[in-house]
Amino acid sequence: MELKPVLTLREAVNRYIPDGQEVMIGGFAFSDPTALAHELIRQRRKGLYVMKTSGGVLVDMLIGSGCVDRVLFCHIWNSVGPVPAHCFRRALEQGIPNSVQVEELSFGAVTMALLAGACDLPFMPTTPVQGAGHFTQRTFLSDKFALVDSPFGGGSVSVVKPIKPALGVFHVHRVDRLGNAQFFGPAGELRYSIAACKKVIVIAEEMVDTEVVRERPEVTVAPGFMVEAIVIEPWAAHPTDSYGYYLRDLQHNDLYGEMTRTEEGFRRYVDEWIIGTGDHRGFVAKLGEEQRAKLRLRKEPW
Amino acid sequence: MGNVTLFERMLITGANRIADGAVLFVGFHWPMLMARVARRLHAPNIVVVYENGIVEDRLTSLFPTSPCDLTAAEKATTCAGSLEALYMWLGAGRVQMTMLEAAIVDRFGNVNTTVVGPYLKPKVRLPGSGGGTELSSLGRGLFLVSASTNKRSYPDRVDYITSPGYLGGRAERERFGYKPGTGPQTLVNPLGIFRFNDNGEMYAAAVHPGVGPEQVHASFGWPITIASDCAMLPEPSAEQVVVTREEIASARTRSYLMPEG
Repeated sequence: MELKPVLTLREAVNRYIPDGQEVMIGGFAFSDPTALAHELIRQRRKGLYVMKTSGGVLVDMLIGSGCVDRVLFCHIWNSVGPVPAHCFRRALEQGIPNSVQVEELSFGAVTMALLAGACDLPFMPTTPVQGAGHFTQRTFLSDKFALVDSPFGGGSVSVVKPIKPALGVFHVHRVDRLGNAQFFGPAGELRYSIAACKKVIVIAEEMVDTEVVRERPEVTVAPGFMVEAIVIEPWAAHPTDSYGYYLRDLQHNDLYGEMTRTEEGFRRYVDEWIIGTGDHRGFVAKLGEEQRAKLRLRKEPW
Repeated sequence: MGNVTLFERMLITGANRIADGAVLFVGFHWPMLMARVARRLHAPNIVVVYENGIVEDRLTSLFPTSPCDLTAAEKATTCAGSLEALYMWLGAGRVQMTMLEAAIVDRFGNVNTTVVGPYLKPKVRLPGSGGGTELSSLGRGLFLVSASTNKRSYPDRVDYITSPGYLGGRAERERFGYKPGTGPQTLVNPLGIFRFNDNGEMYAAAVHPGVGPEQVHASFGWPITIASDCAMLPEPSAEQVVVTREEIASARTRSYLMPEG
């Protein structure tokens, strides 16, 4: 069996995510790999095509930093409050810092599109969508939906085109050296999303021995043969939750929402929390042990 | 207990609609607060499912800020995924009541959480669908919630249909193959309870104490019908008010923004 390369986040971004890369980023407002967004911003990426089911703060900061040209999503917001995703709004309403092309699918439709991609099927039926905005309003995925007559009777059926991202980066809880990636708790669309990607990088909270993986084989969301490279980065999903490891950081979401109201405030956030921290370890240190202790769920260190 | 606000009445009226033991699909925001109030008052045995695959069957120690706040999964019986939640439970009809927040909703119960103004040149860009499209496309017993009484939240027709209601009328929805039993049945807001007529058009069915016809008319962007038998909803009990206020206070500590007044 093949050992998978273990990279730093800096190396992974440098090697796999050049300007203009198409990338599916995992997480559904929990297990959002925010540390990846920070590193993309530090390396000043441009022109990315980002796919993300639940956009949240992660996509908001990428857009605000001018990293994104196109985004496919189900929603983009700061769900704590809730408050608007201010950078996303500035980009779409005023073209600040650049105009961003958007394409949307609902969560159910994207689940089916990823399932089709994951299974290498030509399409998947989905919920009826005629009459809905998603059906009529199309931008860069002009063939995202179609109607077919059911061969089994009952009239026309809405179908979605498969999504097969060129690259996916997913936050998981633990991984072994072979790339077997494990995830606990609710999984949203995670399993289909991983399997739909042509190439997968996992960002894990911790590296564990393969014997530990074997104790809970049912929580393996990507067997090692589906994984290209591994990054180990504790607290990578902060300020979103990581099941069994840490809670959502409401104070940090509030801080982000407040600071990003203005462009100037957003720049201060980026300088202070992203550029100024140097790397994710620096970010975690800045967060501080007191705050981490409030959020930490897992008793034993990892 | 002081004056009960219309917002508090809305939460209580919504909670009252939830039957004990029901399986509920609960969307983001006020529906979560209503379900929690109901669980504490008269419906301890409800089973709440969320789009990410969580099944919540008892009171969690913290009020989750959203369905994806994993405090919702505390001691959960099931943590599955979106295929289970949206298709196997919601789409397959295993859920009896579906609760969806309707930030902007029109005459035919079409909900817009995407954009005000043209799609490509938004006046106000909103978050978008999430699973909201499925809730209204597939959900049985669909129950909409809006905390607004502002006319802008109730236009004649929405600029973008994020979650399909009756589209241009009930017949159009049927023609497009939406399953029977789906489509909005009720909207609860600070004014009272609204239902949908044979054509799929919203009308006022019952109002909270102190709400008059002028206030109803002033809140909607079309000449809304007030049912001839439009009833006055009862005053809530002291216990209902106390529990609702406790939950509002707890939501505030979890960064929830509350409507003014």
